[in-house]
Amino acid sequence: MTWAIALPNTLARDAQLAGSRAREATRAIDPPMDNEAFARFYERSARPLWAYLARTSGDPALGEDLMQESYVRFLCAAGAPSLAAEGENAARLYLFRIATNLLRDHWRRPSAASIDDIPEEFFAAGDQAARQSDSRAALGPALQQMKPRERQLLWLAHAEGYSHREIAAVTGLASASIRLLLFRARLKIAKLLREQDAPGAGRAM
Amino acid sequence: MDRGRWPQASAPELRSHVDACRACADLVLVAGAFQRAREETVAAAKPGSAGAIWWRAQLRRRRAAVERIEKPLLGAQIFALAFNLLVAAGFVGFEARHGIAWLNWLQQSAASNIESLWLSGLSGSGWNWIMLASATFLVLLGGVVAFIASEKN
Repeated sequence: MTWAIALPNTLARDAQLAGSRAREATRAIDPPMDNEAFARFYERSARPLWAYLARTSGDPALGEDLMQESYVRFLCAAGAPSLAAEGENAARLYLFRIATNLLRDHWRRPSAASIDDIPEEFFAAGDQAARQSDSRAALGPALQQMKPRERQLLWLAHAEGYSHREIAAVTGLASASIRLLLFRARLKIAKLLREQDAPGAGRAM
Repeated sequence: MDRGRWPQASAPELRSHVDACRACADLVLVAGAFQRAREETVAAAKPGSAGAIWWRAQLRRRRAAVERIEKPLLGAQIFALAFNLLVAAGFVGFEARHGIAWLNWLQQSAASNIESLWLSGLSGSGWNWIMLASATFLVLLGGVVAFIASEKN
């Protein structure tokens, strides 16, 4: 009698457990979206992500490499948010977080590349970038004088328009410290931008 | 500013406040510069094809899945090898302690016919059969290890 009551419950529990394990295993193998959904997501998010990586690293070619690696890791990550379930904003934040971690790893790594190893296209891209319009030329030198972390915070806040909570999710910093760090970074870059714009700044140099 | 309403579509009081407040003026200056830079950089971006990235991710996922499957197989191979070595060591140790009497028995058996071998086995020398079984077991285990190693290659 006891078995008759206990056995179905045990079996049901085992079946549930097996089901959840199977779902976890499937999720670990399956990407967070199908091919077509990914193509649409890529179309909407690739340009902003490249802009973020290229401007915060100051290197368009590196931005391209890191962007591709970010998408590959996003598709392979077991914990990546599903586009259908969690929405595009969550997926985009996760993608920016991967990109931010890759950038941090890149900056931590000692640079061993010789100038001979850098392809010609890199210099061509640099020249092209130098011929960009006024606002880019104005922001570029000021941005290069900022610390990498400050560049990331400023770009995420003012170019991407993320909230402090979202920036905290992307950078891994505490949400409470974002406000202060952002305030300091803004003061610093505003001063640099004003110095650049001041008449006679070019002559003084 | 995010919606493009600054400064034309904003209230005159707000504009006069920004003129007087240093923090707000900084915010307007910085946000404007970053938004223009974003527009230009996004317009200049030439991202590669999504298909190539999808394909790379597929390859990496498959490689990771294969590695996940191979990990327990490697454990089983190591276990089989360790077990085999242990049995071999035990066999050698046993023989060293009890003398290698079965070699003489084997020589005698080779000289006699199969029938006499069968009879001598039945007649009471039980150790001979144990030795023979151990040797067979070792040979079988060795074969299994060799098969697994060749399978992996």
